Amino acid sequence: MALALAILTYFAYAFIIFMDARKAIKYAKMPVHLRWDLYPMVRNGDGSHDTAFRQGTQSDKNRGKRFIKSFLFILKDNFYLGEYFHKNRRYWCVLFPWHVGFLLILTFNGLCFLAAFSTFAGLSLPPEPSNLVGRSLYYAILVTGFGSFIIGSLGSIGMLTIRLASRELRAYASPINYFNYVFLLAVFSTGFYAGYSFDPTFSEYRGFWKGLVTLSPIDVHFAWAIHIILFALVKLYLPFTRSMHYVTRFFAFLWVYWDDRPNVKGSAIEKAVQGSMDHPVSWSAPHIPSGKRWSDLNSQPAIPGSGEVRR
Amino acid sequence: MSNEITLRDISRKSEQLIQVHPRDLLPLPPPYEETNPNPAKEFLAQTDGNRYEASLDGISAIGIPKPKTKAEEEQLIRTFLSGLRKLFSEENNWTFLQPLMLSLEYCGKCLTCSEACPVYIASGRQEIYRPSYRSELLRRIKERYIDNPGRITSWFKGNNVDLNWETIARLAELAYRCTLCRRCAQVCSRGIDNALITHEIRKLFSQEMGIAPKELHEKGTVQQLRVGSTTGMTPHAFKNIIAFIEEEVEEKAGKKIQIPIDKQGADILLIHNAGEYLSWPENPAAFAILFEAAGLNWTLSSESVGYDAVNYGLWYDDIQLARIAARHTQIARDLKVKKIVIGECGHAHKASITVADRILTGDSNIPRESCLPLLQRIVLEGNLEFDPGRNDFPVTLHDPCNMVRSMGIVQPQREILRKICPQFREMVPHGVDNYCCGGGSGFAIMSTGNFADWRSAVSGRMKVRQILEVFHDVLTPDTNKYVCAPCSNCKGQLRELFNYYDVWQKSRILYGGLVELIINAWVGLKEPFINWEWH
Repeated sequence: MALALAILTYFAYAFIIFMDARKAIKYAKMPVHLRWDLYPMVRNGDGSHDTAFRQGTQSDKNRGKRFIKSFLFILKDNFYLGEYFHKNRRYWCVLFPWHVGFLLILTFNGLCFLAAFSTFAGLSLPPEPSNLVGRSLYYAILVTGFGSFIIGSLGSIGMLTIRLASRELRAYASPINYFNYVFLLAVFSTGFYAGYSFDPTFSEYRGFWKGLVTLSPIDVHFAWAIHIILFALVKLYLPFTRSMHYVTRFFAFLWVYWDDRPNVKGSAIEKAVQGSMDHPVSWSAPHIPSGKRWSDLNSQPAIPGSGEVRR
Repeated sequence: MSNEITLRDISRKSEQLIQVHPRDLLPLPPPYEETNPNPAKEFLAQTDGNRYEASLDGISAIGIPKPKTKAEEEQLIRTFLSGLRKLFSEENNWTFLQPLMLSLEYCGKCLTCSEACPVYIASGRQEIYRPSYRSELLRRIKERYIDNPGRITSWFKGNNVDLNWETIARLAELAYRCTLCRRCAQVCSRGIDNALITHEIRKLFSQEMGIAPKELHEKGTVQQLRVGSTTGMTPHAFKNIIAFIEEEVEEKAGKKIQIPIDKQGADILLIHNAGEYLSWPENPAAFAILFEAAGLNWTLSSESVGYDAVNYGLWYDDIQLARIAARHTQIARDLKVKKIVIGECGHAHKASITVADRILTGDSNIPRESCLPLLQRIVLEGNLEFDPGRNDFPVTLHDPCNMVRSMGIVQPQREILRKICPQFREMVPHGVDNYCCGGGSGFAIMSTGNFADWRSAVSGRMKVRQILEVFHDVLTPDTNKYVCAPCSNCKGQLRELFNYYDVWQKSRILYGGLVELIINAWVGLKEPFINWEWH
């Protein structure tokens, strides 16, 4: 049992990291698209925003700085969901705890990993004699652990409730949405049950992580085992859901909305565009002649009289 | 009840899915509260409902002929699926594949976008006009018929939309109930762009099935490439109009100017929306007066396509977009100008300056700029003298979506108005958060069936309300008021809206461009340039 849990946990983490990376690579390797800017790009402190068109030309010496600023903006918003807070407060009230629960459970496990790893450096956590760092880690694990289980459970129940209570939201929901809420609720609530009932200082759960780090898996209480299995299954399941938006969101904003790099001569963009223009086109409408490349079409006038329905 | 329509209903065999009732429409302030015409009523009497598809909401924007046989219907479904596959192929849709995938795959279905949509709100929150309704339809059709999962996965993901002729025809019409204003995209935390999905649905119909509104395709891009302009204006007619404008300027403004045409090596090739020459010749006239006064080295082109900045391909067809953009820059290269400046036309700005930027490579990618920062420099640098007292009447600014939300050009037009219009006032909301005029994405020029009624009653309603609200303290007809709309399509829509709601008679609100206000304030002209007459 101990070995199976350890293998499952390792595999689940490796899998989700691999799938996240694969997804990011997939989007990064997609062809350069036509510009589809959306403003405002990140607003300044005074509410104004930047545009390369302010002076007419598209040159913008601050593009690099703006990219970093934009990246940090999205990263920050991933944590507190400020866009939802401003635009859909009711939904934010349940979505935020749901997200916080998920972020805290990742932090909780990360801290347990850190605690396990720190033992190599001679660090010990209460109730053993410990220094400030050890005590801080101990309490951080307690807070993030119970915090994630409680807040995440409330968020899951909230999401389920708001979806069921609103006719509009219900109309767009699929069985998968309800399954997701219940699945996450199961993860959070089993964690709470295991911790509250059998391991209030998380010493056993930290022991599990120490076993993972030292490659000496240990047995845990059945309640913890259920939680560990469910949490691993979530990591195996997430890459197949729309929850991967935490990765794709960066592309949507940085690669599409806020990608205002002009196509200047000799640039990487121009080379990419030239490559795409060599693609053959096989659209079938009457005004698109067959057997042409995109670059050929630019010099082809539309076929007069075209426009009839293709049958 | 139309607000209880579900996604599955799109494939339901029925005469009409919903009816927009006057009582549902967004209320307008007095004295406009009784203006609630029924947009669908006339259509049913006028159009042969047996031949043309109108089963979505009784409105026909495209005039799609109904299939006559079962075999024809099946062929249409096959063609639709073929186009859908191409939308997700790198070869055929490299132009928008990444944005499309990002928008289609990660919607959280929180419906935050709905309240940002002026069409959805103004219609009384009709379910089918919700921004996510058509996106979710495409999403479910793609997942069920292209990704082809097993039955259980399909059920699990809610892929329950059937694909039949009704679905296809209604989806085609539904793609023309969104103005592509992108307010919905702006409020989406995940970066889902429902307008982009709508744009891609339009492309599928045009590029694979040859289905597009005739005003955009046959009389739009095809005519522009064949004749020279979507207006049907030939190079010869263009030269005659320029001569007429020169005479008008001399007669009415007392200024003798010669408008440069086809001048080799000029700094600027100015391209207007050709609709200006026919509907609002005072706009190109004002540009000419100002450019001459500022001593710019500029020219117009009389080459076919070179005198019409419009590029309707932006709204429905990437191939047509590329053809027109390439033609514009070819003309500029032949004239050996340093850059193209686009006149007061929002979609031409976006098409030429940003979207087409990644179609034009090598020497064909010559600089293309907005007229607004140039006008700002002329007005603010102090070489010309302006008297704001000449514009001492209430003025508000309508922001064209393509200039503000899609390009971020927000301040130049405001800085000009603050300098020359002492009673300038802002609508709420404005700038990048503005509301579309309701004529965006081609609506302003589309008039098939009773679509024009729908456009005025529904898609333009929010803008009418905004304009009435911004002038609430001077709404009576004893004060002249001016809506500055630096975009030809927006002006076309405002003309229709003001006619439909009788705004000129009831409130004496005039619409017009920005450069007209600049020239009206210029002390170099003895007589006022703005003519306070409805036309």
